[in-house]
Amino acid sequence: MSDRIFGVFGVLLAIGYAMSALAIEESFLSDAVGPKAFPLIIAAILGISSAVIAIKPDPEPHWPDIGRFVEIAAAVVVMVLYAEFLPIIGFVFATALAATYLAWRLGSTIIGSVATGVGTSVGIYVIFHLVLGLSLARGPLGF
Amino acid sequence: MEILSALGDGFAIALTFENLLLALLGCFLGTVMGALPGLGPSNGVAILIPLAFTLGLGPTPSLILLTSVYYGAMYGGRISSILLNIPGDEPAMMTCLDGHPMAKKGMAGEALSLSGIASFVGAFFATWGLILLAPQLVKVALLFGPAEYFALFALAFMTLGGVSSTNQAKSAFAAALGLGLAMIGVDTQTGVPRFTFGEVHLYDGLDFLVAIVGLFALSEVLIFLEERHGSASAEGRKLSVGRLTPPWSMIKQCTPTMLRTSVLGFVAGVLPGAGASLGSFISYSMEKRLVDKEGTFGTGDPRGVAAPETGNNAAAGGALVPMLALGVPGSGTTAVLLAVLLSLNITPGPLLFTQNPDVVWGLIAALFIANFMLLAMNIPMVGIFTRLLMVPPRVLMPVVAMVSFVGIYGISGSSFDLLVMIGFGVMGWVLRKLDVPLVPIILGTLLGNSMEANLRRAITIDNGDWWTLVDSPLSLGLWAVAIIGFIMPIIFGRVVKNKMRQRKDEEGAISD
Amino acid sequence: MIFKATRMTVAALMLGASAFAASAEGWQPENPECIAPANPGGGWDFTCRQVGKSLQDLGLIEKTMQVVNLAGGGGGVAYAEVVNKRGDDSDLIVAGSTATATRLAQGAYPGNTYDQVRWLASIGADYGVIAVSADSPINTLPELLDMIKNDPTSVSVAGGSAVGGWDHLKVLIAANAYGVEDVRTVKYIAFDGGGEAVTQLLAGSVQAFTGDVSEAKGFVDSGDVKVIAVLSPERLGGEFADFPTAKEQGIDAIGANWRGFYAPAGMSDEAYDAWVSKIGTLYESPEWKEIMAANGLAPLDLRGDEFQNFVSGSVNQIQNISKEIGIIK
Repeated sequence: MSDRIFGVFGVLLAIGYAMSALAIEESFLSDAVGPKAFPLIIAAILGISSAVIAIKPDPEPHWPDIGRFVEIAAAVVVMVLYAEFLPIIGFVFATALAATYLAWRLGSTIIGSVATGVGTSVGIYVIFHLVLGLSLARGPLGF
Repeated sequence: MEILSALGDGFAIALTFENLLLALLGCFLGTVMGALPGLGPSNGVAILIPLAFTLGLGPTPSLILLTSVYYGAMYGGRISSILLNIPGDEPAMMTCLDGHPMAKKGMAGEALSLSGIASFVGAFFATWGLILLAPQLVKVALLFGPAEYFALFALAFMTLGGVSSTNQAKSAFAAALGLGLAMIGVDTQTGVPRFTFGEVHLYDGLDFLVAIVGLFALSEVLIFLEERHGSASAEGRKLSVGRLTPPWSMIKQCTPTMLRTSVLGFVAGVLPGAGASLGSFISYSMEKRLVDKEGTFGTGDPRGVAAPETGNNAAAGGALVPMLALGVPGSGTTAVLLAVLLSLNITPGPLLFTQNPDVVWGLIAALFIANFMLLAMNIPMVGIFTRLLMVPPRVLMPVVAMVSFVGIYGISGSSFDLLVMIGFGVMGWVLRKLDVPLVPIILGTLLGNSMEANLRRAITIDNGDWWTLVDSPLSLGLWAVAIIGFIMPIIFGRVVKNKMRQRKDEEGAISD
Repeated sequence: MIFKATRMTVAALMLGASAFAASAEGWQPENPECIAPANPGGGWDFTCRQVGKSLQDLGLIEKTMQVVNLAGGGGGVAYAEVVNKRGDDSDLIVAGSTATATRLAQGAYPGNTYDQVRWLASIGADYGVIAVSADSPINTLPELLDMIKNDPTSVSVAGGSAVGGWDHLKVLIAANAYGVEDVRTVKYIAFDGGGEAVTQLLAGSVQAFTGDVSEAKGFVDSGDVKVIAVLSPERLGGEFADFPTAKEQGIDAIGANWRGFYAPAGMSDEAYDAWVSKIGTLYESPEWKEIMAANGLAPLDLRGDEFQNFVSGSVNQIQNISKEIGIIK
């Protein structure tokens, strides 16, 4: 069933892709092929392969139960928050918080999680910023 | 003889205490950057350019430092591929396919040292190729016009099917998805924006590094989160390291593979625009076709580790040919090296070998030195690398996730890229569940733009005639190989599929 | 695609380590950065790298100029980046040229106009060349244009700019001057930079190359390529004196590709004046004169407001040519 849904979704994706390809505005002077042709070929391949997947599905994969889905969704939310707040609160704090959360959810004890989080954050800061000289987001305290 | 004496001069230039120290530093930093997801050879080299300038290094020492980083990163990428199933950089992607299953079987140490040897062999032959054949090989690059490039890219995609998945439709889907994602951004031919939805961040297109880190690293983290309870694999990732050096029989078994893929990878590297990723990819798929009679590739076959590693290191050497002899970069990394040469007032091109022999031969000597140094450094360090497997996932996975974020943010400084990466992570998780291979997606985003540009150039040159694509013997040959490669797995697919499925059930593996 | 990583990386560097900002005299950029809106090896890249290195050698900037390659859209990607994202960055300068003005004049940077940035100064001009491979039967510009006139499909011309860009326009100006009726039939193939275009000329995929003197130089020296016309009013000096001009072959076509820099509109006046004077000092140095001579750059010295006016005039002129030729309405 999963593959059938996936296949139908793929066909819809291909149609959507083809439609936005057709909507590409041509420039005043174009080459012989133009900016639309290749995307349309891709859309065709995408559509055909999706249709094949829908018609000849593989055996059902193992999906997690609802609790695990929530777990993953929560982790994704934390990551999004991390991305958004990184430039505001600075690298070291944001990273320590996010890594602590992930360590906790992966089964560390509270103390273990905090240790992992802080260790990860400081370790990365030393290697990437102080050794390799990459710029990391600066928070209000300068790190 | 003339070559040997020139090479001797090169070594005389390169073998000073300062230069050896720089090579050692470069090899070490390169290996580390190669192993970290998100930092690959091209950013590795670029990151150290300011260092070379700040130290006030002359042309030859700068090049020695930077090429050591280049070769080091090519070595380092395999470490995280094998141990974590997360490619450290894009050419190491193919090493995941057999390297990680080997590690799971308790052969991590063997896989690491075998791949180290394979890297050495590839780079060693490629450097000799560069010395002996550079002028002639430029002619090979000149055989490739736009139509031939298009055929070459098509070949890469059409032979994908049998390589990375048992279901050809899913491979095709993944390739089309990758190509489709590559189309996002301003069209390089006419300057019109495509699929950008008015979002200015997308004008520049998606960075494939964001895609690769999201698809591989973040989805791995999500898989661990999913499996923490219930199944044993999250806590019980107690993998034995096994022996640290491969037995002679394994090296012997892989020797023909290494020799063949050295040649193939080198040639792929020589073609500008193909680069190391294509080198490792084609090496893997050709070896699979040639020697994989029992369908063991993809399940931890040592030859499946040796092939892409030899291929990508040989391609790294090959990519220096067009850069030095034509001034045309063959890969992202050589583009950076070219930029370094230009800013040192050395113009690569047809006359470089005669006008600046000290630079060329110093560089070649540096490549040899770096290569031996890396071998000497990497084999004893296998023991240290494999300790990584002892780290429990609850500690390792947060580190992997954060390193991925930092790798991307440190390079682009953009939260938008991080969000795109998270999107790729979720997509990677869903696609893994559905058994859709991830490798073709990366290959698509990597090659999509040049593939399209070459198609459009070829057809415009021939006045809108699409038959031009099969107009030369070379492109006909490439297409023939492509079509055979596409059809064969469909015919023989069922047999292999059953075999693969049996094996998968046995291991309950999450593999691509 | 592969170059993206490179450029992103280099971009990262400039954001990096800013601890050593010192101001010895007047305003100094903390992290001087130059965007080259093309891949390494082309004209813009050359502009950034040479100027960056010379500025440092002369002690005009304290830190190494970071060069970022931001290719795409014939410079449009970089332009949009500067206007939209980097609008008030005082450390940033961007390599520009006639190609930039051309695309702006034709409205080819969607939604962007030439007055959205501050134009700093020029550093010289590079005249256009039309070249063929050394073993080509074609020896003069009229021969090539005759072939195009008789059968436009028989000749493919390769260049490093996008369709409608300056490299393309140079051929069209020459074809127009020769009396080719519908110049839009001239077959032009866009490559990612002059280096790739010359390689395909050597590979025999295309019959002619349009670019700048500096892009063709290495291959002329090696004897792989012959220049059939340089689009300058009179012959260039030095080692370039052998190139025949289009004019002496009876075709009144001139294509001067000036090279210079622009900066974000929100750059502080202090920084703007400092950059203008730094580039001006550089231009007057004997070192720069040597670099110009070695690379076939002809003199063109315009700074600050003068340059601003020149660009606005140049944009108008190209708009007129484009309309005349019929590639914009």
